[in-house]
Formats: sequence, structure tokens, C-alpha cells
Amino acid sequence: MFISDIRKEFYEVVANQRVALLVSSDIDALCACKILQALFHCDQVQYTLVPVTGWQDLGTAFLEHKEQFRYFVLINCGANVDLLEMLQPDDDSIFFICDTHRPVDVVNVYNDTQIKLLIKQDDDLGVPSYDDIFRDEEDEGHDSGNESDGGSEPSGKRRRFDEDMWELREILFDYEQYEYHGTSAAMMFFELAWVLTKDTKDMLWWAIIGLTDQWVHDKITHMKYVTDIATMQRHVSRHNHRNEDEENSLSIDCMRISFEYDLRLTLYQHWTLYESICNSCYTSCSFKLWTLNGQKKLQEFLADMGLPLKQVRQKFNSMDMTIKENLRDVIEEASNKYGMKDIRIQTFGVHFGFKNRFLASDMVHATAALLESTEKDESDSDNFIKALDSLSRSNLDRLHSGIELAKKKLIAIQQTVASCICTNLILSQGPFLYCYLMEGTPDVKLFSKPMALTLLKSPCHCSVHSLTHGVLVDVEKGTVIVVGITPESETSDKKNFFGRAFEKASESTSSRTLHDNFDTSIIELKTEDRSKFLDALITLLS
Amino acid sequence: CNEAKSEGRAELIPSIKLRHCCLLRNQRCVTAYLYDRLLRIRALRWEYGSVLPPNIRFHMCAEELQWFGQYKKSLASFMRSLGGEEGLDITQDMKPPKSLYIEVRCLKDHGEFEIDDGTVILLKKNSQHFLPRWKCEQLIRQGVLEHVVS
Repeated sequence: MFISDIRKEFYEVVANQRVALLVSSDIDALCACKILQALFHCDQVQYTLVPVTGWQDLGTAFLEHKEQFRYFVLINCGANVDLLEMLQPDDDSIFFICDTHRPVDVVNVYNDTQIKLLIKQDDDLGVPSYDDIFRDEEDEGHDSGNESDGGSEPSGKRRRFDEDMWELREILFDYEQYEYHGTSAAMMFFELAWVLTKDTKDMLWWAIIGLTDQWVHDKITHMKYVTDIATMQRHVSRHNHRNEDEENSLSIDCMRISFEYDLRLTLYQHWTLYESICNSCYTSCSFKLWTLNGQKKLQEFLADMGLPLKQVRQKFNSMDMTIKENLRDVIEEASNKYGMKDIRIQTFGVHFGFKNRFLASDMVHATAALLESTEKDESDSDNFIKALDSLSRSNLDRLHSGIELAKKKLIAIQQTVASCICTNLILSQGPFLYCYLMEGTPDVKLFSKPMALTLLKSPCHCSVHSLTHGVLVDVEKGTVIVVGITPESETSDKKNFFGRAFEKASESTSSRTLHDNFDTSIIELKTEDRSKFLDALITLLS
Repeated sequence: CNEAKSEGRAELIPSIKLRHCCLLRNQRCVTAYLYDRLLRIRALRWEYGSVLPPNIRFHMCAEELQWFGQYKKSLASFMRSLGGEEGLDITQDMKPPKSLYIEVRCLKDHGEFEIDDGTVILLKKNSQHFLPRWKCEQLIRQGVLEHVVS
């Protein structure tokens, strides 16, 4: 059931209890977790934090902790399946789910006792009403009660019963067909902190990072992003009110968050401007930098702006001040000529101390690189802990190492895209485009993680054909990771039907698939079953 | 030495003296070593608490164990004599505590761990917990948990 008053129905319930936090492995979940941890520290609520990477992990963690905890908080996992059936908990376990995955499973919505959803009800949900779904039970009763009637009657009722079942299935199919994402979990918890008036700038910054993560990894539409930015902007101005007082201005070491209408060049303030333009997905797609023509256009672009190559290839911090001052406006003007109308995007930046300035997207990339780093001897939970640490302001060296990793990741993505397109690895399979990254490809280890794969999709898309669906396939120890991607366009609503399509395809071909990821559009498949699975998918979608 | 003098074998006196000095020196070394062991055993009480892990007991001889037992007893009676009726456990909170509860991260699998109100916590690698400070101190010293400062 949906919670209406998050303070009374969630926080005050758990305030004197011990809670288990099961947190999924994505940046939004990490940020939400940090906010909740800070609140719990404030009120001394004892908790245990367990990172989970998929449904199996969730099941194991639950089994291990169900004896000791009654209250479970699930962050970014659990809303889109029938949780009670999957976990089989005791009757007194209570689950608080704050998840951005939609559609929320109808059983979770209508269960009044054990499942509490920390989701806003007006969040564009479209849940079918209770009567539509649970109506068949009443009809069943009617059916059995009327058997004593005359011969023609029972068959009439049974036909109506079948029709009802069919309608129910159709309603559920419509509802569950498309998978998409709702409001960021970090923002939900920030709102909780605000309602409790315990919100701090750190929590606000984490909420902003959670929102930016949804945008960077293409989970929400542009409209929603802009709306949520406006909400955050209100909070930022409220917090910044103190800075304006001349007499008691804050020391330079305090954290300041500011609204920025900044460039969409990834990590440009921690890199050279040239590298950043080459490796940001937006600019590299618009220029088509894997072609010679594209390279030429880039040189023209830089010349147009009057930026000498020597300056542009220097680290950003060492660039000439005169160039840096008007950089954003100059770039915006020049990019309009080259068809890049959205080179600037609304976002937030933070700075504390004299040296430390970060944009929200910088943090997202750094933390994502740490979370999915493919160093040997590091398990997923090690990476989770490292990424969680990098979000605290006191762990700046971890953040910087994350930024370096993110740079390598972006370069790898661009190189892979370039090689895929140049060697025509992207094939058209009827209703969708299909790209298979083979085992010998450099950096293929990097792409065995779902988030890196999803970052790969946008350049692939923009480059080839912006309106078709894509399936990306990648290799890892005998299994293949398949990611289904929707068409990329300005007006797309980011609704992904690949989840259901994959399920049906794997059922019909009885391929050995593992639907372990919380996103149903990412699955693991045995290499041998790849071709028959794809054939089934083609027939399903055409 | 005196016998040598009385028997008139005066030339043996330097060698006797030398040997004696050597023996005394060896005795001093051994005593220093045993005293150092004693100090370490005393420190063990402060680090590990009243029950020593078996691998440490293995390296102690019977007299040392006996000494440890007596030290434990005198420390306990001293602690009982402080602070009112219940006594004060001064082996807790070696550094001034900043908060009642601390966040700890588990560095290795330690299995189940019971806290005051009877509830059991599963300490699995890389899980984080927010627990009362006094329960965690032992495990932090043993290296199972790590205090997370954010």
C-alpha cells in the first residue's frame, strides 16, 4: 500500500526499532542510502546495511536476516515483482520499499499489512483499480452458488467468468507491458528529511546526485528531469539564504551548492576541454567523431570559437582565465551553428575549499566508475563500499580516483563505438538493431557491467539510427549479457518493453536465462542459446 | 671465588669473576625478557578482555596464566571499588567517545554476534551496522569491524 504521511507511517514506526537496509547497486540507491543513514545517525536508530545486486542476492540477504529483523527497507529494488511470493516472509515482517522501478506490481500496491510503498501516489502510476483486478473472486463465488439453476444458466455464467479472466489478463498486460522509472529514491528520502526539518546541505547534494544519475543513465524523460530540477532549486535557494548575509558569510571551507546552467561536456572541469568534447556522448554523436569528416568538423568548431589548440589540450584548470570566463556562452553560440541546440543543461555544482569544485554529473560518473570497476579481487560489495565512501566529502582521494576511472571508461566507450560502427558490428535484425561485442574486443570486461552497457547505447543510437530499438550483447564467462534499449528521441517517454519481450522469448525457446537484474530489460543468457533466443525475439517483435 | 682464594689458586679468580659476570648478565637478560612478557600479558587483559583467545593461551606457560588470573582478579576488585555499587568498567572507552552509537563496517565474516537485548546480528563481509559503541569496541580491537567515519 502507498504511504501518505512518510513521517508518521515510516519514520516514527522504525525510529525505535532495528532496521535492515537492503540497497541496490545504483547511484540513486547509494545516495538515498546515505541520506537515510544520516537521518538514522541523528536519531540513533540501529540498522544493518547490506548491498544487493540482483534478485538472488536479495533473497539470500533476506534469508540471512529474517530471524533478526522485523523491519526491512528496500531501496531501488522490490517494487516490480510480487515480493511476498518471492521472499515468503513471516507474517510480522514489514517491508518499506522505495523503488524507482515501475510498474509497481499490483500485489504490492494492494497489500495492506506487510508492504508499504514509499512512493508518491501521483507519480504517474496508472495502477489499475482494485475492483478491476480482484473482481474475479466475487464472480467465482457467484458461479459456484448458481449451479443449482437450470441447464442454460451455468454455461452463461461460465462464459462471463471466462470473459472476465480475459479482461483481467488484458488489463494486467497493458499495465505491466512497459517498464520505466519514477521519481528518484534519493529525492524521496530528502523530502523525508525536510519534513523532519533535519535536512542538511550534504543530504541536498546527495539528492541532487541521485536525480542526476537518473538523467545520465537515461532513466527519466527530459521533462521530468527539468521538473525535478525546479523542485531541487527551491531547496537550494532555501539553503543558500544564509550565504547572502554579508556580515556572517560562511567560511570558504563550507559547502556551497549553486545552480548552474552548464555545458553537457562530461567531466570537462577535471580534464582537458578537447578530451571532454571528444568523449562526451552528446558532442561525439553530433559531430560523428569516428569519421574523418567529424574530426574536421571538430577542428572547425574549435577554430570558430577562437580557441587555440594549445589551450584546449591543456588541463582545464590551467587554461587561460580570459578563455575560461566566457567559455559557456562562446560554446553555446558556436554549437547552435553545428546543430547542437542542447549543449547546456540545468544542473547543480558544489564547491567547498578553494580547490574542490564538482558538478553533479561529475560525481555520478565518478561514483558509477567506482561501483562498476572491474579490477580483479574486488567483489561487488567491495565496490559498493568504495562507491558509498566516495560520496562523503571527507573521502576526496577516493572521488578523484573515481574520476580517473570514469575518464578511462568514457574513452573505452568511444573507442568501442567507433570500432563497432567502422567494422559494421551493428546489424539490422528486422524490428531491431543488434550489436554483439565479442570476447576479444578491448575493454570488453568493462562492458560486463550493466550500467556501462547502458552508457554505450546512446552513442550507438545517435550514430546509427535514432529511431530503432537495440539489443546489446556482451560476453562474460560463458554467458552473454543482453540489454534491450528503446529508441532514443526527444519525445521518447523512456518506456521499455524489452523486459516482457525477453521473458516471453526465453520461455518459448526454453533458453537458459537469468533474470537477476532489478531492471527487467537486462538479462544474462547462455552463449549457446543466443541465436535461438534472438530468433524468438525477432518473431515476437515483428 | 672465596674457595679459590682459600686454596691459593689465585689465578683462577679472574676467570671465575668473568663467568660470574656472564651469568649475571644472562640472568638480567632473562629477567628483562620475562618482565617484558609480563607487561605484554597485562596489556592483553586490556585488549582482549577477561577471556583470552586459545591461540594466545597456547603461547603462555602455566605460571603466566596464573599471573594473568591474579591480575584479572585484582583489576576486577579495583573496578568494583570505584563508582558506587556496581563498579566502573574502566577497560571500556579507552578514547573519549564522541557518540553513543557508531557505524561499523565488517571486514571479514564473523558469523553471529549477540548484543545486549538478546538480538543477534549477522556479521558478513562488507555489511555495515549502526551499533552501540560499547559492544563494538572489542571487535574493533580484534580487527573484525572497522569504525567508519564519514
